[in-house]
Amino acid sequence: MVNENLVKDVVKEPYKYGFVTDIETEKIEKGISEDIIKLISQKKEEPKFLLDFRLKAFKKWQKMKEPDWAELGYKKIDYQDIIYYSAPKQKEKISSLDEVDPKLLETFDKLGIPLTEQKKLTNVAVDAVFDSVSIATTFREELAEHGVIFCSISEAVKNHADLIEKYLGTVVPASDNYFAALNSAVFSDGSFVYIPKGVTCPMDLSSYFRINSGDSGQFERTLIIAEESSSVSYLEGCTAPMFDTNTLHAAVVELIALDDASIKYSTVQNWYAGDEEGIGGIFNFVTKRGKCLGKRSKISWSQVETGSAITWKYPSCLLLGEESVGEFYSVALTNNLQQADTGTKMIHIGPNTKSTIVSKGISAGNSKNSYRGLVKMGTKATGSRNYSQCDSMLIGDQASANTFPYIKSQQPNSEIEHEASTCRISEDQLFYLQSRGIEFEEAVSMMVSGFCRDVFNQLPMEFAAEADKLLALKLEGSVG
Amino acid sequence: MEIIEKIKTNKSDDNLTEIQKICLNKLHSSPLPNPKSELWRLSNKSKLSKFLDYSVNEKDSKFDIPYPKNSQSTIRLIIGENCQIKLIEKNYSIQQLSEDELQKYIKEQISFFKQNENWSDLLNLSLSCKNNILGLKINGSKIPPIEIFSHSSSNSLNAKTLVIFIEKNCDIELLQVNLVKENSSLSQSTFFCLKENSSVNHGVVSYGENKSNLLNSLNVIQQKNSAYNLGSLHFKFNYARFEISIKQSSGSAKTNIKGMQITKKDEQISTYTKIEFNGPNGFLDQINKSLADDKSHAIFEGSIIVPKIAQRTDASQLSRNLLLSNLAQIDTKPQLEIIADDVKCKHGATISQLNEEELFYMRTRGITLTEASKLQLSSYFQEIISFIPISKDRWDLLDKLLNEN
Repeated sequence: MVNENLVKDVVKEPYKYGFVTDIETEKIEKGISEDIIKLISQKKEEPKFLLDFRLKAFKKWQKMKEPDWAELGYKKIDYQDIIYYSAPKQKEKISSLDEVDPKLLETFDKLGIPLTEQKKLTNVAVDAVFDSVSIATTFREELAEHGVIFCSISEAVKNHADLIEKYLGTVVPASDNYFAALNSAVFSDGSFVYIPKGVTCPMDLSSYFRINSGDSGQFERTLIIAEESSSVSYLEGCTAPMFDTNTLHAAVVELIALDDASIKYSTVQNWYAGDEEGIGGIFNFVTKRGKCLGKRSKISWSQVETGSAITWKYPSCLLLGEESVGEFYSVALTNNLQQADTGTKMIHIGPNTKSTIVSKGISAGNSKNSYRGLVKMGTKATGSRNYSQCDSMLIGDQASANTFPYIKSQQPNSEIEHEASTCRISEDQLFYLQSRGIEFEEAVSMMVSGFCRDVFNQLPMEFAAEADKLLALKLEGSVG
Repeated sequence: MEIIEKIKTNKSDDNLTEIQKICLNKLHSSPLPNPKSELWRLSNKSKLSKFLDYSVNEKDSKFDIPYPKNSQSTIRLIIGENCQIKLIEKNYSIQQLSEDELQKYIKEQISFFKQNENWSDLLNLSLSCKNNILGLKINGSKIPPIEIFSHSSSNSLNAKTLVIFIEKNCDIELLQVNLVKENSSLSQSTFFCLKENSSVNHGVVSYGENKSNLLNSLNVIQQKNSAYNLGSLHFKFNYARFEISIKQSSGSAKTNIKGMQITKKDEQISTYTKIEFNGPNGFLDQINKSLADDKSHAIFEGSIIVPKIAQRTDASQLSRNLLLSNLAQIDTKPQLEIIADDVKCKHGATISQLNEEELFYMRTRGITLTEASKLQLSSYFQEIISFIPISKDRWDLLDKLLNEN
């Protein structure tokens, strides 16, 4: 019998991003109303179409009911007790990074995010979002040479309003779900990426989201458009300080891939997960969806979810274009009292579309980890294929692992395969490794890493290393 | 409310049994299942209301068993035929449960009912009158195979209830046949209680005609070291639901399930299974096959629940589906809910059509396309049909299925 306590010890690593940056911020009053939305829109100097979009979304949101079907246990959110706009105070216009508050730069330095452009070696362009506002985007000029637009969404609203008007809300309409409607009404910032026809983005793009204040929600919006025959790899990372209160993070991510385009979207989510008693932590209620509009287009989601008190998200692919491809690779690790209800939706609409789902869930402590996924073959999806694999690993006998795959087919000339398994850390393997002189903790983390290998192989290099480390840290103290 | 009115028609409160009153009372607060609940969201609402359209019939019309009794001795029972059963032989005994035993057991079961999960049972128990409830206690070994028939005909809605206690160390083969004639509905609820070390090979064959409807619910409680094997087949129903709930009350039991449903025209047949392990060392092997043709809809939802106490559970569930037409649809949802960490649980699901390569191979050997498809289908059916006890001696189910294709 594996020593339970030893395993438990392996997962106990304090959250190292839990510091608060002491910086002057500009916040608006708590609550949500038409006036607040108008105020946000006015602060961001938005055109009328966007204000209309927000107000329409708000009206829809008011009529909607907060969903409860996932049976996640959390205290009712008081939407009037949230600050919907919070931004670090800074000079009106920043022309270079030198003008950004040094404290902010220091924060991102602490987080290991290369904002200063001297760190060119990393070859990753970063858009850093602090609370509600994007504070800096690096490598802009180099990207502009290739015609790639990478900026905060508020800038895009000012400079590329036509693109925003054309694509915003086309993948995730404002009325899609409760949290998407809320986001559409109050979204403050986020990233915008536009890859022109035939361009392969010369470097990985990255967004870094940081929640700093305890009483403000974060509602960012990301929009990525890949024109014909273009390709891009986008990385997203998130952290937040430790607060006793729960903070709501309701983001919307929309991806659009046209003919032969390919988008790879990778996330390492490490929001503050709350303490061992489940106090505090982020509610991560995110809507992520990609639309493979063009023929032979491809959207690939890879995610490593280790943080948040509650993760509730289903990055999805709408496979409309002929021979388009959707992929979903996920590792979700829950510990203590964390809850994760995550998975994907692969909606096959066009003919000869293909999708692959690989999901690995690891539950430790008293946590609850569920995979919930939908695979649907529409009537026109002839020759389409899906393969799903969902594995769960349980550490300790208090954690739960659930698998809820919804499979629906209306097309005889298509194939769906799904398999799932649940296991624990194998004692034989552990014994073998230990007998070869490998420390217990290291053996466990090797085995967890091996369990997640299929997913880590899909992550971009920098992320794969980070994810491995993150998982080892998170598990420290919990395996036994 | 209509349902309740309907049940009460021609009856004063005094004529209702206590169980009927309890169930009616439960139905009163929400007469229909919640259409948004997981268990009912895919169910065709208009078909369900058609199910309830027929008037309730408590007296059976004459029922002809579709095949003659052959020389092999089987015990044949027809629910609703008011006969006294008492068979006491050297090796075994089959007796009717006393009124008290029956009441006590059913009431205990009702106390665990949940509105959406057990709506079919609630409806059944509020409809079925004394005559249509059969309670049996089976003891001993070397028992001849038992056949139990439920039927519904003459444009009516019939409700039949079956309660069977399988005593310790008892070993039986039992085939349950549900026959539903044209334009009629049958509500069948079955309660099995398997005591320690008992073993049951249970077959359920349900077949209907045009526009026949069925709500078939099966509740099984397995005590330690019991073995329960279920082979089931549902076909030719405008609307049918087969709800299986199996509880291994203290683990160490074995459950094998092989089920199949075949839908054509605009039929809808669904199977819902819920297997709960309430003790360690449980075993489950389940396979469910669906075949959907024409404009029909086949549904399978299976859940396996392994709480903390159920360590060393070994459970597997497979859903295999054949979709044969552009207008048909299949929904499947095998699900796992696991808390115990020392378990082996897996599930799988596939949806495809007939294997083209195999068809091609057979055709190159001179077999016509129709024959080749039949061959493939027969191998698909055979796995399930061979698992249904007794039936092979009685009727050739395989022939029946293939010839109707």
